[in-house]
Amino acid sequence: MSDITPIIQSKLSTESGRRRRPTSLAAHGEPAVWLMGASLTLSLMMIAGLLSLIAYDGFRAFWPREIQRIELASGEVVLGEPIRTETFTPTEAPTEERERTLYRVGNRDTSQASFRWVEQPQVATASTPDDVVLVERIAWGPWLGELERMERVTADGSVEVLSEGHEQTLSELSEQLPLAKQRLAEIESLQRSVIDRANKQREAWRLRVAVANRQLADTDTAVRGLSKGVWTPVLAAGLGSLAAGWAGRKKRWAVVAWCAAGLLLVGAWVEQPTAGIAMTAERVEQIKSDSSQAERELVERTSEAEARIAALVAANDEVRVLIREPRTGRVAPTSVSKVDDPLRVAQVVRVVPANELSLAQKWGVYLSRWREYLTDDPREANTEGGVWPVIFGTVVLTILLSLAVVPLGVIAAIYLREYAKQGVITSVLRIAINNLAGVPSIVYGVFGLGFFCYTLGAYVDSGPVEPLPRMPWWLMAAGLGVVVSTSVLMAASGRRASTLGSTASSRWLQRGAGIGWLSSVVLIVVLGSTTPYFHGFFADRAAENIPTFRSKGILWASLTLALLTLPVVIVATEEAIAAVPGSSRQGSYGCGASRWQTIRRIVLPGAMPGIMTGAILAMARGAGEVAPLMLVGAVKLSPDLPFDQTAPYIHLDRSFMHLGFHIFDLGYQSPDPEASRPLVWVTTLLLVAIVFALNSSAMLLRARLRKRMGGPVV
Amino acid sequence: MTTLETTIAMTNTKLPRPQPAAPREYPVVDAIRAGEGFTPEIHEEILEQDSVVQISGFSLWYGQSRALFDISMPIPRGKVTALVGPSGCGKSTLLRSVNRLNDLVEGVRVQGDISLNGEPVYGPSVDVIDLRKRLGMVFQKPNPFPMSIFENVIYPLRIDGEKRRRVLEDACKNALQKAALLDEVADRLHESATALSGGQQQRLCIARAIVAEPEVLLLDEPCSALDPIATLRIEDLIREIAESYTVLIVTHNMQQATRVSEATAFMYLGRLVEFGPTEQIFQTPRLAETEDYVTGRFG
Ligand SMILES: Nc1ncnc2c1ncn2[C@@H]1O[C@H](COP(=O)(O)OP(=O)(O)O)[C@@H](O)[C@H]1O
Ligand SMILES: [Mg+2]
Repeated sequence: MSDITPIIQSKLSTESGRRRRPTSLAAHGEPAVWLMGASLTLSLMMIAGLLSLIAYDGFRAFWPREIQRIELASGEVVLGEPIRTETFTPTEAPTEERERTLYRVGNRDTSQASFRWVEQPQVATASTPDDVVLVERIAWGPWLGELERMERVTADGSVEVLSEGHEQTLSELSEQLPLAKQRLAEIESLQRSVIDRANKQREAWRLRVAVANRQLADTDTAVRGLSKGVWTPVLAAGLGSLAAGWAGRKKRWAVVAWCAAGLLLVGAWVEQPTAGIAMTAERVEQIKSDSSQAERELVERTSEAEARIAALVAANDEVRVLIREPRTGRVAPTSVSKVDDPLRVAQVVRVVPANELSLAQKWGVYLSRWREYLTDDPREANTEGGVWPVIFGTVVLTILLSLAVVPLGVIAAIYLREYAKQGVITSVLRIAINNLAGVPSIVYGVFGLGFFCYTLGAYVDSGPVEPLPRMPWWLMAAGLGVVVSTSVLMAASGRRASTLGSTASSRWLQRGAGIGWLSSVVLIVVLGSTTPYFHGFFADRAAENIPTFRSKGILWASLTLALLTLPVVIVATEEAIAAVPGSSRQGSYGCGASRWQTIRRIVLPGAMPGIMTGAILAMARGAGEVAPLMLVGAVKLSPDLPFDQTAPYIHLDRSFMHLGFHIFDLGYQSPDPEASRPLVWVTTLLLVAIVFALNSSAMLLRARLRKRMGGPVV
Repeated sequence: MTTLETTIAMTNTKLPRPQPAAPREYPVVDAIRAGEGFTPEIHEEILEQDSVVQISGFSLWYGQSRALFDISMPIPRGKVTALVGPSGCGKSTLLRSVNRLNDLVEGVRVQGDISLNGEPVYGPSVDVIDLRKRLGMVFQKPNPFPMSIFENVIYPLRIDGEKRRRVLEDACKNALQKAALLDEVADRLHESATALSGGQQQRLCIARAIVAEPEVLLLDEPCSALDPIATLRIEDLIREIAESYTVLIVTHNMQQATRVSEATAFMYLGRLVEFGPTEQIFQTPRLAETEDYVTGRFG
């Protein structure tokens, strides 16, 4: 130490030494720090602002508002919920500024518009009387008015007054309303469990008769298959090669023998001499008589339910409530065409005497509106009621999408990273995959519609459009057998020969095997799409022009989104796989693990958190996507869920509702934008919440995975 | 920064620097540089012993560049053999040639052969996977897998398809016992292995390498990433293991070679230069290169 000090001192004492400036803030990077902090703050503020706006408007929408009674200078009396107040410049007086308030006045059946601007100067008096109510109805939106009385009108025309005046009617309603709703629920359940089911069976019988008729007219489906003289040698050859494969000592020839045996035996099975069905006139008659017998049974079974439904409808028709609006002096009508016939209690969803509610009661109304929203079907062109099918559709779509995309993406990434020889082809593939992520999503929608719905869907429904004749098809199948067995042999001998000395021949063998695998895939696709043996899973319906999978549906939608999000998963997985340390792999190989064992036990578990990240990103993107869904399956209204209690329980062919599309529909397609505005907020809030929930559950899973492996948790 | 080597290096600076000896003649190095052939010095004591691995005329290329030149040497059975030599002389390559881990490197080519217990390692019908199962390997950097300690140790058995719980548990206990790690981890066998210290991790890797009862244990600088205390423990361990296994160890550390090994091979520029019993290599080497290398004056 001591021998160094003099050197420093001598430096200090040198006069000619360059004067150093004190380190400036700029040199410390302060401006850059400020900039970075500023942009981070801005981004955070925007996100927070967005979320809090959605939360504020979404949570506020269902809170009961006060009902004002306004007497205008013209003498008109208006009941309405004030929505918002603004200043405006009237066209007739461009220099003035006036205030006006937007009221929800409801009563669409008598006043056309359910919203109304009232200018401040026109208002004579405004008050919030206790005895006005907002009645939410099953149809035609809310009705604002004063409860007058309730009456029961029996079938013979006698009228019994059940209650009179505001107080009494309100308490009577709280008794009658649940009764009416109970009846409605019973009607609904009878409808579902008896009537709808019977209709399905009728439809099935109708189809069966139609198919029988068609088969009778169609001579092609008469007995076909090989003649006995040909069939027997085919079967014998199949069994022979099976035995040969069994007995054969050389493994490579056993592979060939087994390929041949499989081909011959399958051929013998589908081409057996008794294949095909002969439809006769007698059988058609039999089916027809069975059908009418079934119809009689169905009528018997449903008539009881129908009678019960009629009784319930009649009971609901008896109880009426008169709610008078002060403006026109009219009562709420039961339908627009019968304006003098008062509303049935069964048509009421909820009565809100908004001005006399205590805070607790307001909370009650608020929560019951939320409950209705989350668990009911939509009504009134989606502007009222709930979004249960929408939530269900979104969640099911997202789950199906991740079930499809994660395995596919992971397999592709493993192949790309671990098996494929890194070179020009893999680079081009990677670029293509990355570009795929940038393709506008609507393009995927068009592709999905064209390929999944109309091509693959048609195939699933009714088989290949132009099947090959049987002989050429079997020749092609034999070709596939040859290709597969050649590839197996090439791969085996290529692997054997790949000791370090003889790389050239082994490289050719392995390359040949690779080409063989690829062409076998192509051949399988071609064989499948031209097979004369597959006539679709829904051939009968298709023949009657009823599409099943040949239409928009949740399966095709999720596959389309899977394709859309595939690049995300592939890229994330590839990165995760590449990040698994080489030392782990070496260690695994050193222990005598094969490549596949290393991938399965070391690489995949190590990459799992990264794969989960990719899945999360894919799910978030898929759940929020709207444009392609509009083409391949999301619809405005589809109360039938993809899962229900009718066989086969899973209906992936059904179209579905989706929150993203629902928001679009509410915001832009609604007949009454002002009325649906609060629902836009609520639905947005819900979509954000669902995406958030899906993401956080996936993140939780990932954190647990990481913790188990001892890595960082975040 | 406190590895044994650095400590020694730092203490050495205090001492007067050894005077550079008079320029010595290096006939072997000259021959190599000139591209001429030479015969490596293999002491008779080595040749007399029974060998478990026989390397004969073995050369290896990474693409165009040649890493090993015509190496022939036996690895004596039941002994610890150390491979020493300057960095990049091909020690690791030679070690990895024995269990064919070099196959994983793109563009590797070999010539000559290695045999393990008389069976060729590079023969056309060799099952590489099976071969690697017969050899245990430990790497320079501890590389425990991101799973529990138990799963780490029994990994070679798992991939061999062993499913019986009892067998796995016994094998795990046994291997950990031999690797002198059981006492430290007995109560947390099912916790993550990555939480262990570096020295513990390396002993875990040794347990993993010996759990399947390999015929030879290959150690590639197993202590160079460890602190002096952990290094000493591993060295003790190697001496213990050597009673029941043949060990081939690559090391950078001359003291370590003298402490653990019974035979030492000196490699230089991809060639085997001298191979003999450790005391002879360190005390009475036959070649000037070997002497200067083991005393730190060359390489
Ligand atoms: N994977 C590889 N690819 C190409 N060259 C390599 C590879 N591994 C090692 N080498 C080269 O082979 C030579 C020997 O390396 P190595 O066996 O690691 O030396 P050592 O272990 O003795 O330090 C070095 O010149 C090194 O550059
Ligand atoms: Mg090395």
